[in-house]
Amino acid sequence: MKTVIDVKDLCKTYVVNKKQNNVLRNVNFSIDEGEMVAVMGPSGSGKSTLLYTVSGMDRMTAGSVSFCGKELSALSDNEMADVRLDDMGFIFQQMYMMKNLSILDNIILPAVKSKKAKESRAFTEKRGRALMKKLGIEDTAENDINEVSGGQLQRACICRSMINSPKVIFADEPTGALNRTASDEVMCEMVKLNREGTTVMLVTHDAKVAAKCSRVLYIVDGNIQGEYKLGSYEKAEDLRDRERNLNNWLMEMGW
Amino acid sequence: MFFRILKNDLKRKKIMNTVLLLFVIMSAMFASSSVNNMFSVYGGIDYFCDKAGMSDYVVVALRTGGECPAEKAIDEAPSVKENRREDILFIASKNIKKNGKKYVDFENPGVITSIDDAKLTYFNRNDEEITEVPKGHIYVGGLLADESKTHIGDTVTLEMEGVEQEFVLDGYIKDVLFGSPYMGNPRILMNGSDVEKYLEKEEIRLSYSGSINYIFTDDLKSLKKDLSDIQGALFANERSVFKLTYMLDMITAGLLMIVSICLILISFAMLSFTIKFTLSEDFREIGVMKAVGVKTSAIRGLYLIKYLFISCVGAVIGYFLSIPFGAFLLKSVSERMVLGNDDNTLIGIVSAIAVVVIIVSFCYGCTRSIKKLSPIDAVRNGETGERYQQKSALKLSKSKLPGNLFLALNDVLSKPKQYISMLVTFTVCLLLITMLANTANTLVSERLLFLMGTTYSDVFYASTEKIMDAMGSTDEDVLNKTISDIEDDLKENGMPGKVHVELMYTIPAEFKNEKTQIVMQQCKRTKTTDYVYSEGTAPLYENEVAFTQQILDDLGASIGDKITLEIGGEKKDYLITATFSSFNQLGRVGRLHQDVPLNDTDASSAHAFQIDFDDDPSEEVINERILKLKDVFDTDKIYNKAEYVDISTNSATAVNYAKNLVLIIAVIIAALVSVLMERSFISKETGEIALMKAIGFKSRSVSLQHTLRFVVLMVIATAVSGILTVPFTRLVCDRIFAIMGALSGIEYNVKPLEVFVIYPVILSAAVVVSTFVTSLYAGTVRPEDMGNIE
Repeated sequence: MKTVIDVKDLCKTYVVNKKQNNVLRNVNFSIDEGEMVAVMGPSGSGKSTLLYTVSGMDRMTAGSVSFCGKELSALSDNEMADVRLDDMGFIFQQMYMMKNLSILDNIILPAVKSKKAKESRAFTEKRGRALMKKLGIEDTAENDINEVSGGQLQRACICRSMINSPKVIFADEPTGALNRTASDEVMCEMVKLNREGTTVMLVTHDAKVAAKCSRVLYIVDGNIQGEYKLGSYEKAEDLRDRERNLNNWLMEMGW
Repeated sequence: MFFRILKNDLKRKKIMNTVLLLFVIMSAMFASSSVNNMFSVYGGIDYFCDKAGMSDYVVVALRTGGECPAEKAIDEAPSVKENRREDILFIASKNIKKNGKKYVDFENPGVITSIDDAKLTYFNRNDEEITEVPKGHIYVGGLLADESKTHIGDTVTLEMEGVEQEFVLDGYIKDVLFGSPYMGNPRILMNGSDVEKYLEKEEIRLSYSGSINYIFTDDLKSLKKDLSDIQGALFANERSVFKLTYMLDMITAGLLMIVSICLILISFAMLSFTIKFTLSEDFREIGVMKAVGVKTSAIRGLYLIKYLFISCVGAVIGYFLSIPFGAFLLKSVSERMVLGNDDNTLIGIVSAIAVVVIIVSFCYGCTRSIKKLSPIDAVRNGETGERYQQKSALKLSKSKLPGNLFLALNDVLSKPKQYISMLVTFTVCLLLITMLANTANTLVSERLLFLMGTTYSDVFYASTEKIMDAMGSTDEDVLNKTISDIEDDLKENGMPGKVHVELMYTIPAEFKNEKTQIVMQQCKRTKTTDYVYSEGTAPLYENEVAFTQQILDDLGASIGDKITLEIGGEKKDYLITATFSSFNQLGRVGRLHQDVPLNDTDASSAHAFQIDFDDDPSEEVINERILKLKDVFDTDKIYNKAEYVDISTNSATAVNYAKNLVLIIAVIIAALVSVLMERSFISKETGEIALMKAIGFKSRSVSLQHTLRFVVLMVIATAVSGILTVPFTRLVCDRIFAIMGALSGIEYNVKPLEVFVIYPVILSAAVVVSTFVTSLYAGTVRPEDMGNIE
């Protein structure tokens, strides 16, 4: 398997009121192509900071992050923007979208900006609609963002993250703002995407969500304390066992 | 606690509060200086008249052949309480030389006055009374008091009929009668013995001498009746007419007042946006304050104190800045007038306080929305649970526009309320500039030629010398000979044409038993049908006449009435057939039929010689011929139509000055508004900017999109101002032209290149540069700042 993300001695330090706060301390891990990795840990352990630093949204203080062979710390802001646009997809806990655009327009906006695929606006629209159909929200295409449910909006966010066929999708608590039903729907879609070949790295504190991933990293005080390999699953019934095993492991880790 | 919140607010929103402060400073500065300016100029005219000893009525008379019937009539008029007669000499510009060359070109004859015989009080530039002029020295006023043309210390020679004297220019005078550029006659003040040297020569006494009669009366109406049939008066008018000649100075002040009003309105629009914006940003803080029991009135008080503080600081700074700024604006006016407003400080302070009161009252009105905010707003992030009404105006999927332009355009169209104050600001700025540009362009275009009371001739040849020779002569045929000579010269130089000249006569008139004097215009070589009329039909017969509406209003007459005119000692009824507009005599003039038998030597003044070439040449050929004619007649005073309008109205420079001033102010306003608004947008849209960056937008792309929003606004503002420019120009400038005498018929010269390209581009450049520079601040927004999305 090809490694898409390789993190070595990653450190992130914030200085607030002349006090140094080491949020990430020499973090090392890698993610292979096609993996679906969950990052778990207690509040304030550095999960989101890890995700944002690995995805290049935030600059690292020390160490290195290799993304598809590119060293992120060596990229300029503009080069980083291009990587985010073409090779990364993002899903956030809050369903952030542009208020002035319809659901479909929000989805295709990254494609309009991207120079990767030189396609007509009509073709981009077609691709956007196809993605929406795939995630079951094709009826909401012309709606404004306030006119759909949270679950539909988060699926629209997934569509947007997928529009440029990224190599990796980063998701920060993608189900955190959703009820259980919507959460299951969204995770179901993410698993589908992963099975189709998209690598996923997500942050969650929900064991039920993490149980759907192939691997779980446990982080405490900015350090990876351990990892748990779950592998893939075939049937939904397997999920209960995976969740139980994961919970046991998490308890061992001090969850 | 309150002051801590206030202090934190001022610290946290440093840039916005600073720009807001700048607006208050500018509002206070403009309000104080322009209100003061208006008071100074309005009050100044009366103050100046009183201080200079200006009379109720003035008659300027020429002593042709040593006799002056006008003086005799004044001496005999029962309503004259006192007449102060000032003996004068007329001198043409060609007779004033420096190093053998003509010193300064001017149209109307200059007036030489002896300081020993002065009946008015004259002042120097420091407003000090001039009581003596040493022998061999002179003071000059009016058109000669122009530092770009004359210099103190110059040695000049004044020559008349072979009598030549050398003088040193000692300084400039403020002359209430001839001080305004509208009067056209420059005054030369010299020692009495120097004047006597000229008067020793008989030819000078007979052809160049005259008098200015400063008449005081208790009954102006009777005086006007008594003097209605005086002969030989070059100019006879009441004090109010002379005051009107300073209206041009008032125009600049008036335009400045309009700018000030617009600026104050813009400031309030900005203030409204800022207050509403601050409140929408602070809903959490307001909600929390309400949740812990702080009363609405106390929260409103907090914001009122903030704006009161900013207004007070701004007003104080603005007031102090208004002193040098007001002095700078008044400089062009005070060079000609002794201004006597003793309440400058008080007016300035009152204006500055008014700005504070208006801003705080406005703020009080705007903070009403605090009542609507509840503690739950703090919990619900400002959402009330109501459906979000905003709809996107455009569809990206259907649009062919590039991404950034689409986002900019869609944003403006989707949230018009957010941009309305900016749109109004840019539109008003453009309207102010284009209004002044239209006026300035009109003042130098042939469109106003009809208001000069002339036909649309090819060339205008202004020769004071030739006119003076003809009018000062007793030979009735001198003017015809002069015209024939000019025609011969034209023929000899291969450009044959016909020449004519408009003559002005002061004619005694009577209507409904009311006697008066009216300046009438006539040209024997044209037809009355060659001129433009506002109403009625041109006088077709000898007993028909046309007047301006102002004359008819003064008389209480209308078209169809008959008026009695006394021409050549014979009283005759004339039918009023038409009205017309004119700048001549500030709009108080009439036109006689070409066949009315008037003697050329009785004319009180004349216009330029007008040349109509026989071969109807193109503009290009006319301009070439003008160059040639300047050599032939050895003068610079040969003009095409537009140039003649320019030198006749003599106000394009003042309007251009006002235009340039407004352009600078508009650029500053537009730049400041852009900085304020863009900074506000970045602050409000931090979350969206972060989201855009998170999905791969570059910083420069965000800056471009933000700048494009302002470009879209400028395009809309240009279109709106383009539509409104003519109505707006009419609304403001028709009044200005009415003051100058033209009540109707003005077609403004709108130059599309200026209105739609040059000025919008200048303003857009200011907007784009300031917006783009401010938008670079968006570069500090990181993708992880998405948490700020509301």
